[in-house]
Amino acid sequence: MFKNVYNWIDERLDITPLWRDVADHEVPEHVNPAHHFSAFVYCFGGLTFFITVIQILSGMFLTMYYVPDILNAYASVDYLNHKVAFGGIVRGMHHFGASLVIVMMFLHTLRVFFTGSYKAPREMNWVVGMLIFFIMLGLGFTGYLLPWDNKAYFATKVGVQIAESVPYIGPYIAQFLYGGDIVGAQTLTRFFAIHVFFLPGALIAMLAAHFLMIRKQGISGPL
Amino acid sequence: MSNHEHHETAHRPVQRKEMSRRQFLSYTLGGTTAFMVGGAVLPMVRFAVDPLLEKKGEGTWVKVVEASKITNEPQEFKFQIHQVDGWYVSDPELAAWISKDANGEIFALSPVCKHLGCTIGWNTKGKNEYDCPCHDARYTKDGKNLAVAPNPLDEYEVKVEDGTVYVGPIKANSRV
Amino acid sequence: MAHGHKSNEKVVFVGDSRVKKGAGVQVPPDYTSYPGKSEAFIPNFLLKEWMVGCVVLVGFLVWTIAEPAPLGYPADPTNASFIPMPDWYFLFLYQFLKYPYVSQEYIVLGTMGIPAVLFGGLLLAPFLDTGKERRFYRRPIASSLMFLSLIAVVYLTVISWDHYTHQLEITNTIPEHHVREEKAREAAEKGQEPPSTVKKPAAAVAIVDAKDPAMDIIKQAQCIGCHAADLKGQGSFPALTGVGDKYSKEELVDIVTNGKSGGMPEFGTKLSADEIDQLATWLAKQKAPAK
Repeated sequence: MFKNVYNWIDERLDITPLWRDVADHEVPEHVNPAHHFSAFVYCFGGLTFFITVIQILSGMFLTMYYVPDILNAYASVDYLNHKVAFGGIVRGMHHFGASLVIVMMFLHTLRVFFTGSYKAPREMNWVVGMLIFFIMLGLGFTGYLLPWDNKAYFATKVGVQIAESVPYIGPYIAQFLYGGDIVGAQTLTRFFAIHVFFLPGALIAMLAAHFLMIRKQGISGPL
Repeated sequence: MSNHEHHETAHRPVQRKEMSRRQFLSYTLGGTTAFMVGGAVLPMVRFAVDPLLEKKGEGTWVKVVEASKITNEPQEFKFQIHQVDGWYVSDPELAAWISKDANGEIFALSPVCKHLGCTIGWNTKGKNEYDCPCHDARYTKDGKNLAVAPNPLDEYEVKVEDGTVYVGPIKANSRV
Repeated sequence: MAHGHKSNEKVVFVGDSRVKKGAGVQVPPDYTSYPGKSEAFIPNFLLKEWMVGCVVLVGFLVWTIAEPAPLGYPADPTNASFIPMPDWYFLFLYQFLKYPYVSQEYIVLGTMGIPAVLFGGLLLAPFLDTGKERRFYRRPIASSLMFLSLIAVVYLTVISWDHYTHQLEITNTIPEHHVREEKAREAAEKGQEPPSTVKKPAAAVAIVDAKDPAMDIIKQAQCIGCHAADLKGQGSFPALTGVGDKYSKEELVDIVTNGKSGGMPEFGTKLSADEIDQLATWLAKQKAPAK
């Protein structure tokens, strides 16, 4: 049955080469932890992606309960964390996953750096990777405000103040992020939009570019 | 005019001044793309930057405390302001550190640290200074920045009427 | 299907179909230039990678179950004693800004200059370190810069956290999310609901003395237009029930006569002094029942 459906689609769209290319490409021994244990350092990139997928999924589920409104944001987080079944785990996944993504990405970056894998012809992929790093930091910063507790409020105030110290355009950046003159209702909705739509959109585009380039250029050779 | 031109071109090899069909189509495609992107994005950009362009309202005066209660030692006083934050209208409490200077003049300082916006407190470390808990910024009683912070503390405009202290809009420190 | 061709017959596309006929199995890229055994990505290699993934996932789930995600108390802009801390991965930047020459009049250097140079350098690393050599011990400049930055970041993070815990000690504060958790745990031990941290709407206070003639003034003067027919308020307009707890009669007279910032109009011209007095007397009686 499944085979027939597959054949029917394949006859029309010729999809076999698409996944065959991914499935059949050979992975060299020097990145395979089964051959050299030290090759586990090559796993960090994949793990970063795995945790990122968890982040995206848990974030999607959190918005089933969360409201980005200063009167209700805290109450909704409190509710989903303490009243909803498995709420503590799902929010914990999103909260601690944020830290774990940073850790994994950091280790991945260090691996690429110390194995010199960013050198020609892979310069562009390093730059894209760094952009992913910055997007992740942005996600961390904007996500921190959303529970609307004291920690969130004051850390955001300090963070935006840092942006405000930029000469000339600083006050405008701050006002843009605040959505006004104070950390308030409009700041929360802005941060929510940035955290949930803008940055993840950019992130997915960057990840696609990152993976395409890896497939195109192959993994860097052994040292 | 046209005769003259005709006369000149007659001697030269034929030169096509008009663009090719392909060029024309490319330019048109580019223009259409620009219009589509611009038309879609411009309203959104204006939408996003709206808070930057909104006109600021006039500051109002808020009654805080009787003037007789102000001492030379700064004290924290809370007062309510009316605040419109988009669709959220509230009357939050703000705080000001109010004290008298050597000439007996009353002044009020904002408790927002000029370093990175934490909330300062008076004499929390026993040094008769304003201290910030975040990065150890310090200020004198007049709000002059002693350490870490780049600017002196902001000041509220103050007026005393009928023995009552009113606090007005915030302004840059005028005392140091 | 309508033409009922045999299912084992290959579909042949005609005309402008741009779909290429399948070229059969694709030739996988050649990795013979790499020494050792290579293997196919799916299923051989991915299986190994996913085994690592499973270990990480189990560890991660245990962590999320063992350690509840922190949540403090609702944001209160006037809370002066709160010591703000960013997430741990921003701590090094946060600590960095405490030092001279990156704070005070040099703050731009601290928030923009040096981070821009460092992060910019990292972003453009492939264009700064252009040598062919890949081994890190053969690239002393790049590697030592990276090691230095790593040490600096770790040092700043540790110092920052140390400073924070020290400050908690001095001010004798326990972080909010710990206090909150502790209270919830104590309540759970006693078999109670954990104390709510969410501001409850003021308990509904009944109208005192609803038969009083002042109630007619309320309707006449259209107080109910803003404060709602049940006087419980709406939107940003406050409830009048329980208003006696908030204001004295004299204050109420003043508010009704002269209005109040926030939308309360002046009624001094619309109501007589007697009516206002009657109204304020009645409003002053609007107190929540003693507990």
